[in-house]
Amino acid sequence: MFLTRSEYDRGVNTFSPEGRLFQVEYAIEAIKLGSTAVGIKTAEGLILGVEKRVTSSLLEPSSIEKIFEIDAHIGCAMSGLTADSRTIVDHARVEAQNHAFTYNESIKVESVTQAVCDLALRFGESARGEESIMSRPFGVSLLIAGIDETGPQLFHTDPSGTFVSYSAKAIGSGSEGAETELQEEYHTSMTLIEAETLALKVLKQVMEEKLNSTNVQLASVTKDGGFQIYSAEKLQQVVERL
Amino acid sequence: MFSTYPGQVVVDHPVKVPIEHRFDPYVDNGGTLLSIAGEDFCVVAADTRLSEGYSINSRYVPKSVKLSDKTVISMGGCYADCLTLTKKIQQSMEWYHHAHGKTMSTAAVAQMLSIMLYQKRFFPFYSWCILGGLDEEGKGAVYTYDPVGSYERESCRCAGSASSLIQPFLDNQIGFKNQASQKKTLSLDQVLRITKDSFTSATERDIYTGDYLELFVITSKGVEVQKMDLKKD
Repeated sequence: MFLTRSEYDRGVNTFSPEGRLFQVEYAIEAIKLGSTAVGIKTAEGLILGVEKRVTSSLLEPSSIEKIFEIDAHIGCAMSGLTADSRTIVDHARVEAQNHAFTYNESIKVESVTQAVCDLALRFGESARGEESIMSRPFGVSLLIAGIDETGPQLFHTDPSGTFVSYSAKAIGSGSEGAETELQEEYHTSMTLIEAETLALKVLKQVMEEKLNSTNVQLASVTKDGGFQIYSAEKLQQVVERL
Repeated sequence: MFSTYPGQVVVDHPVKVPIEHRFDPYVDNGGTLLSIAGEDFCVVAADTRLSEGYSINSRYVPKSVKLSDKTVISMGGCYADCLTLTKKIQQSMEWYHHAHGKTMSTAAVAQMLSIMLYQKRFFPFYSWCILGGLDEEGKGAVYTYDPVGSYERESCRCAGSASSLIQPFLDNQIGFKNQASQKKTLSLDQVLRITKDSFTSATERDIYTGDYLELFVITSKGVEVQKMDLKKD
């Protein structure tokens, strides 16, 4: 009998003797295969940008959706398994609507993020009283951007259910290169326009295909406009600025 | 005679009493509550008598509870229901504080209370609620409810056993109804005077109102409680 690593990566909720949960770690690895997404926080608002992998010239790029609205003041960009993100985004939307219904006020970005992360570890045999909804960890990572009474907020969540606040963050296959670029270029006095440009600049650097207005998507969250996905024309303008 | 079917054994009971199928879980413990919103303050007042029929169960049972530095709830009706409802609100507010890291605003408590009441639409809390406090802009706010959660923000409201005596007086003095003079905003002193006068007068006519008047004054500095004697007969 020998205890190799593979002995402990079968049960999704079993710790290895070194204290690791392999299935969760593998899920985090899965994100690194996903398409790149960036989020940038400025005083004026936030920018979310994603690359769309248009794998065939016959594919309709508009059918690839990687940025979602959660509520009028919150949006998110995802990387990883698109199908898994549906469950999570649905949960976030329900949570936001419930809050608005019960308290007649918009939910805080951190509260939505917390709600999403509560879902993350509800896989395998469920905890008492909580229904398990998945047999494995979610293979998806989110950048949740929104504006609440505490100002602009950007959160990153991963399959382990951990969430951290960032000024700027990149996830997905090109995240390493993108983060180096963000660290160099980001400053706290950035305008929203500068953030738009930086988001595309970063994506352009890490994308395999040549960046154009069909293989990226941008969205913004501002105090006045709330969450908005950029229209084709508006996106084209930003691409031309590069 | 009983109607029978073939073979039925008829037991003739010595005493036949009709079985009453009524379920009467509510009592009205009386009492009056009042709240007036000012420009940058709010006054919530209620007497402290607890009655049941012609008896007075207690002379000092407060009907108002401070929920936060900006919000006070006042309830009348069935005291047992009011106690439970107050506890539920306080618990939910604490829960909200843990979940969202902030104290619930008056408007948020107002919406939540409406839902709590409506959740018991078919076995309601027998409670008449008035929520007083300051809104997010620091202005005085009064929210009034019926027992099943229908609610409205108003500038002043009286509820409970002497409401029909006091409300028309408030309409005239606070709402300037049927007055030739222009409507003007009232100072805290004026509002307190109108409140106290309302209760001393109501005590004269309503047997369920009396003993003490407890006033909660909510300003940006917090909540201040005042007590005043009312007639005890």
